[in-house]
Amino acid sequence: MPPKVDREKCDGCKAEKESLCEQVCPGDLMHLGEDQKAFCRMPRDCWDCMSCIKACPKGALETRIPYQLGYHVARLIPMMGTNTITWTCIDLNGKVERYQYRNRGSDD
Amino acid sequence: MEKTKAPSKIGLFIFDPGGGLARAVDLGTVVQKLIKMKNVSRCEVIADIWSGFLVSVKEDLKAGNLNRLLWVGRFSPYQEKIIKAELSAEGLNPYLHEWCDVEEQGVGKEGPDRAVQTQKVMMLVQMAVGRARLIEALEPVSLPAVDAVLIIGAGVAGLHAASSLVKLGKRVYLVEKESGVGGKVASLHRLYPRICDPRCGLEFEIEKLRGSNKLELHTLSRVKGLDGGPRNFEVKIEKAPRYVSEERCNGCGKCAEVCPVTIPDDSTSHLPQNPHQSGKKAIHSPTPMAFPSAFVVERRYCPPQCRECVKACPTNSVDLEQTPSDMTLRAGAIIATTGWDPYPLSKVEEYGYGLYPNVISNLEAERLLENPPELKEVGFIQCAGSRDEKHLNYCSSVCCSVSLKQALSLKERLPNSRFSIFYQDIRTPGFDEELYQRVKSLDKVIFIRGLPSTVKPDGENGRLKIRAEDTLSGKEVTLSLDLLVLAGGMAPSGGTGEIAELFNLPRNNFGFFESHLQCHPEESQRAGIYVGGACRGPMNVGQSIESTHRAMVEALQFIDGTFLVEPTHPLVDKTKCDKCKRCMEDCPFSAYYFDSEGFPTPDLARCRQCGNCMGTCPLTAISLRHFTIKQTAAQIQAIKVSSLPKEEPVILAFLCKNDAYHAAREAADSDAVIPANVFFIKVPCAGSVNNALLADALSFGIDGILIAGCKDGQCHSVRGNQLVKTRSGDLADKLKKMMIEPERVRFEHLEIRDSGRYVELVNSYMRDLKAMGPNPFKV
Repeated sequence: MPPKVDREKCDGCKAEKESLCEQVCPGDLMHLGEDQKAFCRMPRDCWDCMSCIKACPKGALETRIPYQLGYHVARLIPMMGTNTITWTCIDLNGKVERYQYRNRGSDD
Repeated sequence: MEKTKAPSKIGLFIFDPGGGLARAVDLGTVVQKLIKMKNVSRCEVIADIWSGFLVSVKEDLKAGNLNRLLWVGRFSPYQEKIIKAELSAEGLNPYLHEWCDVEEQGVGKEGPDRAVQTQKVMMLVQMAVGRARLIEALEPVSLPAVDAVLIIGAGVAGLHAASSLVKLGKRVYLVEKESGVGGKVASLHRLYPRICDPRCGLEFEIEKLRGSNKLELHTLSRVKGLDGGPRNFEVKIEKAPRYVSEERCNGCGKCAEVCPVTIPDDSTSHLPQNPHQSGKKAIHSPTPMAFPSAFVVERRYCPPQCRECVKACPTNSVDLEQTPSDMTLRAGAIIATTGWDPYPLSKVEEYGYGLYPNVISNLEAERLLENPPELKEVGFIQCAGSRDEKHLNYCSSVCCSVSLKQALSLKERLPNSRFSIFYQDIRTPGFDEELYQRVKSLDKVIFIRGLPSTVKPDGENGRLKIRAEDTLSGKEVTLSLDLLVLAGGMAPSGGTGEIAELFNLPRNNFGFFESHLQCHPEESQRAGIYVGGACRGPMNVGQSIESTHRAMVEALQFIDGTFLVEPTHPLVDKTKCDKCKRCMEDCPFSAYYFDSEGFPTPDLARCRQCGNCMGTCPLTAISLRHFTIKQTAAQIQAIKVSSLPKEEPVILAFLCKNDAYHAAREAADSDAVIPANVFFIKVPCAGSVNNALLADALSFGIDGILIAGCKDGQCHSVRGNQLVKTRSGDLADKLKKMMIEPERVRFEHLEIRDSGRYVELVNSYMRDLKAMGPNPFKV
């Protein structure tokens, strides 16, 4: 399922030739529309790797959870730190679980 | 990268001269715990830095037992300097010191719980150790500088700056669009307060420049482009043809004698006959003042095929086939002294300027001062088009004194004439008041408070009928005048607009060059480019000279051989950067350019090291050296939230070092009680805080993050505060989606004297956070 784009937040990476989501998408699916807002041009090809969601500096992208996994309220939100990533996982009942990971970084 | 280097061996010294820290904190336990920390090789409490202590540190450095030093406690700037100097003699780079002032964080006061304070000191020192492990030796970067200053505009400001620079032995390029120098001031007749001739003062400066081989004067020239950066600007200029060789012409004037064309003088149309302005030929001496001395031909007035001047010239210097030429000048710094333009008074329709020949502007009135025609009744209207929202929305600050000066000089020549001055307020700041008093004491000079409503011809006799209400007496005044002088205001010059566009310099609401008026009035917002004189705002001649000198002194630093840049500049990690160029967009000083591989790179000469690029980089690829993202992340990571009681909120504050930090420091020095669980990190600008750091802090369980920056319009890096406000706002929105209270990230304005507000702020934030409950990421 393609990511949801918050059109108010998305600034098209300020008229960049290639926005960050476009650069990072392994399937080359994200694009900037004529209105300079990002969109997924082939929704069925997206395999929810969430790279674009992690990359978006404005926090304008959110993954859409496939219905087989969770309805409506269900959400999965990553937050990127310098060397950490935290996940907020909200299931269809609104139950929240959070995980925090330290990346196996290059410097330790 | 780190692995290849020798491991950090940190010498940790807790400075407690009066024993005050020991009274509030259990230093014994602190030392015992710290000595066990990774990378800490030596840890002790010291009472003073002398008495053999520094010697022992030097020995340890020499033996290789220590390679970084962490100083805990408050050192005076003098002590810091001494320590750095003493140890750099032993080969320790000054950037390998880390200073951790625990007192500014609110520790060391007697009263609060000793255990709590001990814990806070532990935490702070651990943070500092985390950072100290990662600090590196840095050397200042030296950049070459072109040893010349380019000055745009050879008016009074430009000439004075040029002559002072030449006196200091510096090379100067002076670019002027007219054929001669002097600008507006050369067209004035008298200068207040001494009522002397401005040409005298200008000639004095020109004389100094004439003999100098350091000055290169380009008249009839316009700036066409700018390349390069501070210390190495390349300015393209276009030089219009003069048609007379500057090298050969001796200014004898034989050409003007034979020239068949007399050209109309530009601004005499409204004036009664003035003998001084007549008889200018198509080939003439440069105006406003004849420097250079070579004559100039105004080709548009030449009759076709006329070659009289060529034939008459004894030195063979007239060349009517000259074409415009382009040049590139290289300079280390630029000073714009583009001056002002008189406000077009024809726009102030009610006063009939341009309609009636005897309504003239104050600038034109200057020409009358020396030899005025017989005038019985003269009127002055102050604020003509100034302090008026339809025209100039500001006070030009000099027009009152100018009109007073003109009235005074005219009165000398015309003792029996009557002068009426219509005004809103007479504004004669400072010593100009004396001028006002002098004019007031004159016979037959009346001041009427109120601006005329109509100016009409008085019948057929060529006089003017003027009607006004005297708002002091409430009576209507009707006068018949021979001459009406409109005190028009100072508007930004056309040149200012041109240069602002070409150089990308911001302008203020009124169209003058923008500068940080209180602290750095001479600074444009581009490094190496300074603004001086009336292009910055209305000012009188004296102020203009002062202001341009201030610009000149600042410009000097950019032209002195080589220049040392502090090594704390941003560095782009090319392995991480994906060229999104957000740093370029957000850099308040436009310091970024693309290098040969297409990576954004800061121009170190332009960079002010505010760190906004570091704050904005979505990939955390940019770091200020000595204040890297990694160092700050390590500092944040060292806050062991789990060791504190879960119900006690922990606040991490990022404080702008210019304002908010000083407020916090003052608060700590006062009696105010600062909650123990507030830790702050000093940042170069609030805008240098990266969202990844905030995410780190939240994920480590810190309950609230406070970012404190300047108010809008006060930020030293122009808009860093706004950038961080937007970014932290984005993060707060994300927190909301994550079902975390968005208030856990807060941006606040703090001014330097807001220490009381800082205390209030952290206390109220503490209460809010307590009500919210612990951060869900807290374990």
